[in-house]
Amino acid sequence: MKAQNKLYIYLTISALLLVILAIAALYIGVYDFNGVSPFTVLGQFIQGDPNLQLSDKYVLWDVRASRIIMAILVGSMLAVSGTSLQGLFKNPLATGDLIGLTSGATLLAAIAIVLGGHFKEYLPEMVQFSLTGISAFIGALLAMLLVYRISTSGGKTNVVMMLLSGVAITAIGFSITGFLIYISKDEQLRDLTFWNMGSLAAATWTKNIVLAIVIVISYTILLPKGKALNAMMLGEKDAQHLGINVERLKKQIVILTALMIGTCVAFSGTIGFVGLIVPYILRLLFKSNYTFILPLSAIFGSILLLVADTFSRSVVQPSELPIGILTALMGGPIFIAILIKFKKSF
Amino acid sequence: MLKARQIDYKHKEFFILNDVDVTLDYGDFLAIVGPNGAGKSSLLSILANEVKQGQQKIMFKDKDISEWEVRELSLHKAKFSQHNSNEIPLQVKDVVMMGRYPYFDSQPRKEDFEAMNKLMYETDVYHLKERDYNTLSGGEKQRVHLSRVMAQLENELEQKLVFLDEPLNNLDVKHQYKALEIIKKFTQNDNSAIVVLHDLNLAAQFADKILLMKSGKVSAYGTPEEVFTSENITQAYNFPCTICPHPVNSNPMIIFG
Repeated sequence: MKAQNKLYIYLTISALLLVILAIAALYIGVYDFNGVSPFTVLGQFIQGDPNLQLSDKYVLWDVRASRIIMAILVGSMLAVSGTSLQGLFKNPLATGDLIGLTSGATLLAAIAIVLGGHFKEYLPEMVQFSLTGISAFIGALLAMLLVYRISTSGGKTNVVMMLLSGVAITAIGFSITGFLIYISKDEQLRDLTFWNMGSLAAATWTKNIVLAIVIVISYTILLPKGKALNAMMLGEKDAQHLGINVERLKKQIVILTALMIGTCVAFSGTIGFVGLIVPYILRLLFKSNYTFILPLSAIFGSILLLVADTFSRSVVQPSELPIGILTALMGGPIFIAILIKFKKSF
Repeated sequence: MLKARQIDYKHKEFFILNDVDVTLDYGDFLAIVGPNGAGKSSLLSILANEVKQGQQKIMFKDKDISEWEVRELSLHKAKFSQHNSNEIPLQVKDVVMMGRYPYFDSQPRKEDFEAMNKLMYETDVYHLKERDYNTLSGGEKQRVHLSRVMAQLENELEQKLVFLDEPLNNLDVKHQYKALEIIKKFTQNDNSAIVVLHDLNLAAQFADKILLMKSGKVSAYGTPEEVFTSENITQAYNFPCTICPHPVNSNPMIIFG
């Protein structure tokens, strides 16, 4: 009882913190609402006040609020996908970007952008509309299957193989994306650059709805898997003896992390290291107890990306700092810290 | 309780197990003994439904073991593996609580904490409960896993089965006896145990039945008195020995050399 109550307390406190940060982020920005606080504008918008200026409404609701919500959704998914992958590979270095899932997703998304125009008309309308998203998901899934096949045998992961196959996939992705940039037209070029940098500037409510649907599906299945991921630390056979359907668990993690990473990449490009930073910090507090770090990473991922994004759009006003710079700045040293710890354990 | 007929297990063209039959009655403590590479661990892992190879049928409680639902099965049987993970970045009590995972969804209930504490007392690891598992010695880790496995079968069901693969590795004399007493007590409630042991004298003292293996085959099966004859053992281990009655409990006592 005690331990679980603690979890709910942590969840409540961090959720409150997230709400406060989200409200604060609403206040930060270049646009000036003629001396009125953004909160008043939001109130006017919700009540449908006819005096509300269209430009105020647009900046607050369609630009700022949608971007904040997108940061929350994307950050959360990146962190949870990282934590789940680490449970599956039993290693704190397994994250979507390091093992190549992000590159796989970016590559197929880039192919869809540049070459999609040629065959788009033959596809059903629904698929046309979401072609980039679907390609990103397939790219992430293929990369995931490849890495898993190469690095895991008999339930044991070879960490070196895992990271190196990530390097290989990233290299392939890099070269093909480079080629696509070379042959692409201006309009496509802008899209591609956006993907490589990673940004939440393109947030819209339509995208947020899609992200929210993906999050609900994935979290309903993944978040209760804390116990199962703990049991996996005993080894797959012993987890099976504890009544866990290991094969089904692995399939669920593979498909759902690919889905989450693919969707994030399709909408916000490659924002690295979130899946590394968040579980690392949580592990310092809760060891590797996935019943804690899995649900908590859902909230702390949101906090991290929201803070980073608010910082990136406010520090060099009126311009923007690419958000990937900030997450890499935090993630790089943590990567090294994990490596040093890893070296000591041998 | 458990019936298995004609188990074959091959690695490439090499037979690890060849035509092995095992029958276990309710309440039996069966010890599997034999020299290195005789196939003891392979047999145990096939009986515990870890490896699926060939068409052998293993009947657990009169039902094919592969037809049991995974979670349901985990309430009736548990297994202690020989190679336990060295790296589990959790506290000892979290590792023992894993044995209760089949019983609760998200929050451990009162019974789960009771079972966890009871088994930690019995295996003498209660004082280590807040320690990091990774900092324990080999023998202490073994005891943590023993209490995890036994906590898993702490329920109201009858006729349960536990598999243990060399549970005494790294344990000191006192804890070897304690571990065997826990298993013995478990089998006295109509539950059964199949245990791979290396120490023939401990096997003779605690087990009801002995299965002596050599080169993937059963070379003798029966009560300790029937199996532990100097011919059987000398032949299986390729090493001379003398058998005499144990001065205290009159079980067969094996003296090598």
